[in-house]
Amino acid sequence: MATIPLSVRGLDKRFGGIAAVQQVDLDLREGVTTALVGPNGAGKTTLFNLITGNIPPDAGQVLLDGKPIRGLPPHRIARLGVARSFQDLRLFGRMSVRDNIRAALEHDAWFWQPGGRSAKLARERAVDSALDRTGLTELAEARAADLAYAERKFLSVARILATGSRIWLLDEPASGLDPHSRARFVQLVREAVADGVTICLIEHNLDIVTELADRIAFLDRGAKLAEGEPQEILRDPELIGIYFGEGRA
Amino acid sequence: MTAYLVNLATLATIFGLLAASLNLLIGYAGIFSMAHAVFFGLGAYAGAQVALQLVPDVLLACLVGGLVAGVLSLCLALPALRVRGEYFVAASLGLQMMAVTVFSEAGAVTGGHGGLVGIPPASLLGLDLSNPRFFLLACVILLVLVLLAIRGLMHGSFGRGLMAIRDSESAAEAFGKDVRALKTLAVALGCALAGVAGALFAFYMAFINVESFTLEQSIVLVAMVAIGGAGTLLGPLLGVLLLLLLPAGLSFLPFIPATQIGTAQQLIYGLAMTLLMIFRPAGIVGQAGERR
Repeated sequence: MATIPLSVRGLDKRFGGIAAVQQVDLDLREGVTTALVGPNGAGKTTLFNLITGNIPPDAGQVLLDGKPIRGLPPHRIARLGVARSFQDLRLFGRMSVRDNIRAALEHDAWFWQPGGRSAKLARERAVDSALDRTGLTELAEARAADLAYAERKFLSVARILATGSRIWLLDEPASGLDPHSRARFVQLVREAVADGVTICLIEHNLDIVTELADRIAFLDRGAKLAEGEPQEILRDPELIGIYFGEGRA
Repeated sequence: MTAYLVNLATLATIFGLLAASLNLLIGYAGIFSMAHAVFFGLGAYAGAQVALQLVPDVLLACLVGGLVAGVLSLCLALPALRVRGEYFVAASLGLQMMAVTVFSEAGAVTGGHGGLVGIPPASLLGLDLSNPRFFLLACVILLVLVLLAIRGLMHGSFGRGLMAIRDSESAAEAFGKDVRALKTLAVALGCALAGVAGALFAFYMAFINVESFTLEQSIVLVAMVAIGGAGTLLGPLLGVLLLLLLPAGLSFLPFIPATQIGTAQQLIYGLAMTLLMIFRPAGIVGQAGERR
């Protein structure tokens, strides 16, 4: 049985009178891609924010390797190997592509990084490798703000790739990509999974979900309605009705 | 004429240091402080007290001025850690207003409204710097060293950390950046450098009072950084040169009466700021931000 590096138990979050996330349980299994699927406002991004410490849950727990991480600040959770992307990318726009990736690897807030020259060389190798795997080597010195849309998307993945994080939370990583870029993105995710990375992705494009996901968790109005194999979830007429806005009272 | 030019050059160098220190906050860390004159003032008062009470050594005065301003920068760092954007601007305005009151009322340390007078000429480790040219040379050397240090820091991981926070604080956190530590360090460093500039200013003027550390001064400093180009090494220096040389340049224009130079200066400042923000929002040297 696959190990479960990250799981959430009974996670709850309300914003005023609105239940954004209700009693959600979820296991992310090692080397498995789990897709969070659901209509807009289902609580998918809020769930990511709760896992990464960006917003505190009202109740429930987040477990990393079985240890509770609820209450840790986002930077501490990131350093434990949980990396995330954002729907709106949040690149470091005025920095170069290379510096975007470098910055993702440098955790120490002091005037220099620990580990000396050998650690610096290791970071530079990781940056070069991420640039190469995402096809951004030629654009390494360009400003992130000046990149085309698809290149910006790949930069957001390159930052995660370089960190060597073992858990990736990807928020609509393929939205708006042309077919060629989408195929490249799918290949990139498959390579990461083959390397043992655990991936959870939010995606509205069901073709991408079908191509990449080993499991699907279906959310609606903050609650997890179902979880299972893609063919099982995507063939459920009730869930599909909810997804396309037909089945809600 | 030479004395006049040396005077302008010395002021430009001191304000260059001050603008470079504010640029650390605004340009690199994205902390839009409207209270930088406070830390300039703290350094000036601390440096002046060292010169008046102990020894007029410029190095010691700069160290003490920088230390006092750096330590008290926590007053600015605390709101910077809690609020962002326009809320922080408002918080820093409040700090600026409080500080002016303290500077005016704490007569025992600041001399109150009358200020501190008779600050002795500077020396440096026993060398006499009372000759304005020697003092200018010392200021220029310090400015060059500070600019080289800032350049080194901003091309390293510390600078990348600050700029990452400036561009997206949440993404910086998501990649393991301790935003609180980085912001606190940036504020301490920027304010300490403002304190050093203040100590130099106290020596150079031989007299300081609260008028040099008001909100108006903070606004002019922000204008220097914004006009030159925030987040660039040389932009703030260019801003200082433009804003300091403008009044001097206007005084040579025969069609502006001497009594109207102040008014003309205000009009030209205002027009230049407005046009610049329309046509080059990132300043003269700066690059435009993200495409929208």
